[in-house]
Amino acid sequence: MVDIIRKQVIPGDVIVTGDYRPGSFVQRRGNDMVALRVGLAEVAQNGVKVIPLSGAYMPRAEDMVVGKVVNVTGYGWEADINSCFVGYLPGQFVFGRDFSPATHDLMTRFRVGDLLLAKIEAFDRTKDPQLSIRGPGLGKIPQGEIVRISPMKVPRLIGRKGYMINMIADLTACNVKVGQNGMIVVDGTPEGTEKAVAAINLVQEGAHMADLTARVQRLLGAPVTPEPAAEGDSGE
Amino acid sequence: MPKSFVVETIKRNQIVDALAKGKRLDGRGVNEYRKLEIKTHVIQKANGSAMVTLGDTQVLAGVKIDKGVPFPDTPDKGLLIVGAEVLPMAASYLEAGPPDESAIELARVVDRGVRESEMIDVSSLVIKEGKWVYSVFVDVNILNVDGNLFDATSYAVVAALLTAKMPRFVLDGDTVKDTGERLPLPVRKVPVSVTMATINGTLVLDPTEEEEAVMDARITLDTEDEGHICAGQKGEPGSFTPEQVLTAAEWSIAKGREIRQKIKEATAGG
Amino acid sequence: MTEEKRRLIDENGIRTDGRRWDELRPLKIEVGVVKNADGSALIEWGKNKIIAAVYGPKEMHPKHLELADRAFLKCRYHMAPFSVEERKNPAPSRREIEISKVIREALQPALFLEDYPRTAIQVYVEVLQSDGGSRVAGVTASALALADAGINMRDLVVGCAVGKVDGKVVLDLNDIEDKEGSGDMPFTFMPNLNQVTLLQMDGLFTLDEFKQAVELGKAGGMKVYQAQREALLKRYFDGAAPDSSAPAAEMMEA
Repeated sequence: MVDIIRKQVIPGDVIVTGDYRPGSFVQRRGNDMVALRVGLAEVAQNGVKVIPLSGAYMPRAEDMVVGKVVNVTGYGWEADINSCFVGYLPGQFVFGRDFSPATHDLMTRFRVGDLLLAKIEAFDRTKDPQLSIRGPGLGKIPQGEIVRISPMKVPRLIGRKGYMINMIADLTACNVKVGQNGMIVVDGTPEGTEKAVAAINLVQEGAHMADLTARVQRLLGAPVTPEPAAEGDSGE
Repeated sequence: MPKSFVVETIKRNQIVDALAKGKRLDGRGVNEYRKLEIKTHVIQKANGSAMVTLGDTQVLAGVKIDKGVPFPDTPDKGLLIVGAEVLPMAASYLEAGPPDESAIELARVVDRGVRESEMIDVSSLVIKEGKWVYSVFVDVNILNVDGNLFDATSYAVVAALLTAKMPRFVLDGDTVKDTGERLPLPVRKVPVSVTMATINGTLVLDPTEEEEAVMDARITLDTEDEGHICAGQKGEPGSFTPEQVLTAAEWSIAKGREIRQKIKEATAGG
Repeated sequence: MTEEKRRLIDENGIRTDGRRWDELRPLKIEVGVVKNADGSALIEWGKNKIIAAVYGPKEMHPKHLELADRAFLKCRYHMAPFSVEERKNPAPSRREIEISKVIREALQPALFLEDYPRTAIQVYVEVLQSDGGSRVAGVTASALALADAGINMRDLVVGCAVGKVDGKVVLDLNDIEDKEGSGDMPFTFMPNLNQVTLLQMDGLFTLDEFKQAVELGKAGGMKVYQAQREALLKRYFDGAAPDSSAPAAEMMEA
C-alpha cells in the first residue's frame, strides 16, 4: 500500500516541498506545493491535492443535481441549482421537438418551487448550465425531506462507488436522491427518514474524520464493517 | 432571478399538512415561540444595546442619546426615533442599497409600538422647551434573516432602551452642558410586539422564513403592561377573518405577558 | 481639540491602555458567525467589533456588468449608526466608500478571480463598534470569510496598523492614539507571499521611521496571522487530530 500523508491546511500553507505533481486546489511555487483552500491535503507518491471542506458548487456536464424552479419563462424553466449559475431547462427537453410556446403551457409541468432531479446536459462557462430530465429517475421530485450539505462533502456522502449512500439508503429503507450541488431529498417512513437525515448530517459534520463509516454504521445501529478498499491508488 | 425566498413545493405541502394536524415542522405548536435569547450591553460605545436571537433570526440594536432640537409641533417633547436596516449580509438574496419598503415598514411598525405604548416619557426629555431636548436614536442592524423580523427587532429596541444610560444635560447660559452624570431613561412601560401569520386558514405565532414564504397574511399587535393593545399592523396580500383577528388579539396579550417577563429578566439591573 | 495636548506614552514607555510600543490590543476571532452567509468571521480587536460576511461566487447583478474572464469582486465597508461616539448616519459616507475600495483592492491579490468567470463575489464588512484600525481588522476578518466560503486563494491577507505617537513608532493604534497621534499607517499583506496589499498613511515619517513602521507592521501582522490561522482551523477541525493513519478508502475522492 502506498503511504499517503494527510495534513490540515488553509490557503497559503506549504503542504510539502519537493518534486510533486500539483493536483486539485494546489499550486506549485518554486519547489513548494501550496494549498489554495481550507481542507485536507493528501501527499501521495504521484502528486499532492487538497480535498476542500467548503465551497460553492461549480456545475460540470453530466452531474446530477437537485434544482428548485424559481422562474418560468416563455421557453423554459430557470432552476436554482445552489450555484453561481442558474440552471436552464428548455421547453423542448420536456415537450419534445415540436415544442412551441404558443401551444404548450409550461405551467402544466413544473411551477415555481418544484424540485427537479436533473442532469447537467451542457455547461461551458460562456452560458448558463443547461439541464435535462431525460433519464431514469429524473424529473419532478414529488415528496420527501430536503437536506442541504456542503457540495464539497457530496463525494464523501456518496462514498467509493456509492458505498456510503447505498448503505444509508439500505439501512433506513429510504430513497435518497443526491445532487452533486449539495441538495438531497430523502423519502421513506418517518422513522427511516429521520435516521437517514441524521446520518447525512453526520457525514456533513464529520467528513474529515477517519472513522466516518464506522460512526455512520453505529448511528444506524448496524454492525461496524470497513468500507471496501479501492483498487489502485486514491488519485482521481 | 430570485430576489426573495422561494420555498420548495414539497416543503410548502409539508408545512400545510403538518398545520392541519396542529403541528409545525420544527416541532412547535401553533402558538409557541422559537428560542429567544436577549443579550444586553454588547456595544460599549452605545448608550444602550441588545443582541436578540430568535431562532436563527439575529438582530442588534444600539441606542445613541444626545442633545437635539425639538420638532416645531412638539416643542415640549424629546425626540425618539427608531431606524432599522436589513444588512445585505443577512440573506443571500439581498443586495446593498437604500432601505426598501419592507425595511421602512419594519422600522415604522417597531417605532409605533414603542411610541404608542408611551414606553418612554418623552415630555421629561426636555432641556429647554422649544430649544433643546434629548434626542434618542435607536438603530437596528438585522444580521441574519430567518423570519419574524418585526418581533426580534422590537425586543432588541425595547431591551436596548431599558438598559440605556443617558447623559444628564443642563442649560449653561445659551448652551447645553453634559454634567457627566448618567441616568436611566424615563421608562413607563414595556411594550411587546407579537407577530402571527395565517397559513391556509391556521393562525401561527412567530413564523420562520419558510412559513412566511407560505403565509397568506401577517399581523403584528403590540401590547403594554396593563394588557392594552397599543399598536398593530396587518401585512402581506392575504386576509384574516374577524375571528382570527380576535384570536390574534388574545394571543398577543397572553404571549406578550410571557415575553415581557423575559425582557424584564434580561434587562434587570439596567 | 481645545485641551492641551496630553502625553500618550509615559516615562516608562507605557501607552494610554497599558501596552508597550510593540504590543497588540486583545484580539479574538471566530469563523462562521452569520448562518445565511457562505463564509463569515467576527473579529474583536481592541474595542473593534466587526463582522465580515461573504456571498459567492454567485450570480452577478446587474447582469451587464459581469466579466467574461473572472469574478466581479464587490466590497461594502459599513459602520453601524451606534458604532462610534456620535451617531453616524446610516447612509454610506465618502470615507466608507473609499475604505470599501481599498479593502477590495487589499483582498483581490489573494483571490483567483479568474477561476469564477461571470460571477460575483460579495464581501460585506459591518463595523458594529469602531476603534482604531477598523479597516485592517476588516481585511483580516474578510480574508477569513473568503476562506470559509471556499474561494480559491493564494494566501490569507492580514493586517495591522502602525503609527507615530509622541514621536515614536508604535504598533496597533487605539482610538485615542489614532485621533491624537501624529501619524497612522494601516497596512495589510499576504503573510506567505510576503506582498503588501494595502497601505495608507498620514502624518510625517522620516525614511527611517517609515522603514521601522513597515517592519513593525509586518511583525505585528504575523502575530495576527497566528490568531487568524487558529480561528480557521478551529472552525474546520475543532481539535480533531490529523488523520494520517486513516485507510485511504475512508477518504473522499474528488
